[in-house]
Amino acid sequence: MGVFEIADSEQKTIYIGKASGKSPFGLRGELFLCFGEKTDFDGKNWIHPKMGQPLPIIQKHAAYFRYEVNHMYYSRWIEILTRFNEDHGRLPTGNLEDPEVIPELGRYHWKTKESGTEN
Amino acid sequence: MVDFRISDEQKFIIDNVRRLIREEIRPLEEDLDPDAFSLPPSEKDRLVSMVKEMGLYQMDVPTEYGGAGIDLVTRTLVAEELSQHRAGLYAPAYGVFGHGPPGQLYNATEEQKEKYLWPVIRGEKSAFFGLSEPSGGSDPARAIKTRGIKDGDDWVINGGKLWNSGADTADFGIVYVRTDPSKGRDGISAFLVDTDTPGFRVERLVQVLRAHYTTELSFTDMRIPSQNLLGEEGKGFALANDYLSMQRIPYSATGLGVAILAHEMAMDWAKQRETFGQPLANRQAIQWMLVDNEIDIRTGRWACLQAADLAQRGEPFRFESSMAKLVATEGAGRVVDRSMQIFGGLGMSKDLPLERWYRELRIRRIGEGPSEVQRIVMARDLLNIRSGS
Repeated sequence: MGVFEIADSEQKTIYIGKASGKSPFGLRGELFLCFGEKTDFDGKNWIHPKMGQPLPIIQKHAAYFRYEVNHMYYSRWIEILTRFNEDHGRLPTGNLEDPEVIPELGRYHWKTKESGTEN
Repeated sequence: MVDFRISDEQKFIIDNVRRLIREEIRPLEEDLDPDAFSLPPSEKDRLVSMVKEMGLYQMDVPTEYGGAGIDLVTRTLVAEELSQHRAGLYAPAYGVFGHGPPGQLYNATEEQKEKYLWPVIRGEKSAFFGLSEPSGGSDPARAIKTRGIKDGDDWVINGGKLWNSGADTADFGIVYVRTDPSKGRDGISAFLVDTDTPGFRVERLVQVLRAHYTTELSFTDMRIPSQNLLGEEGKGFALANDYLSMQRIPYSATGLGVAILAHEMAMDWAKQRETFGQPLANRQAIQWMLVDNEIDIRTGRWACLQAADLAQRGEPFRFESSMAKLVATEGAGRVVDRSMQIFGGLGMSKDLPLERWYRELRIRRIGEGPSEVQRIVMARDLLNIRSGS
């Protein structure tokens, strides 16, 4: 379980995701979904029947990822989304297209060093 | 004579709440993240409309404020039902029955009620509670370092608060401030603080054991007009104390709701799961666990109902309120623990809600006053020791 960010080839964050208690194969499975067509895990079929389909924007633009193992993945996911939203005034493009419901986000009263940038 | 029977009106309310939890809330949770604490907005709106039609929206708000005005005993019975789903301990029914205003707001001036109380009742504003500080929370009379200094018609507040759930999304908060350092608990006042006030900052979201984070706040030269003083100057602590004692009763009963559901699940499982050719339910070790569950639940229930009954009749209830909190939360924790043991490996998995309740009930032994502080409160009453001695 944990959280991850997907970035495009210009290292701009396009999606903030989580590997939840319902994610088959946890973080590895979720990341594989994002990069599945580009990465070959020994030619094995890793797609589990319970795995969803990656969003088109991720399928098309995913180039980088970073992740954090965290058992409190849900509240950490919201924290990272909140921070991104505070810095950029919007959610990552992928999250805007994602049908997953995001709870009401709060706000910090400070900006990170990424504030105002498009990273 | 003591009458333990519930009235027809209570039964009607409980049945309606139970049906909504079982037929509407639980099925929705099948598709939600195991740690989710909110519903999709469309579903929430639909259920709020349904609750309003049932006449149970804002059920604990007094009728003169447009609520259903149910009494504290009924509210305690309902609290047991509201929490009987995965997110139920900290998000009972996902708030579809309405978030009542903090009780202190009923002591507000008419102007304050217009600006804060009524919008909360209408669901237009939300509030947070700012009492605990990094210096402590169990002994706020001494721990509150946040300082308020009168400056003309305003108060200038400096300091900070910790463990303020919902402060990052709230519109305002009730913040406890030391306005006279020479007077101990009589030097603490309560203020209504808008979260867009210059100097108010959410410093960080604090990750904890449960799925919902809490916050740390800072106040820097935060200027609050005198008309935002809630109640009398120096009487803030009494305002908080009354509210916390009353609030503690249904709060404790929500823990029992989760315990009841865990216990029901464990009983069903014990009847169907076989080991060495017999159902678990035939094993004495399991039978004793189930009986201990039942005892913990019933003991907690009577402690909560007695406290609610005394409070409702206007009699002293501080001892009973603390006892209810202690007995119900610690008992509920044991019930969920035993139920997980009965389920074995499945009890540890996120396929079932037991692991979530286990984490959340651990917090309950600390939130709203740790078990040890409840014992201190009870000892003071027993031994007639003045608070603060």
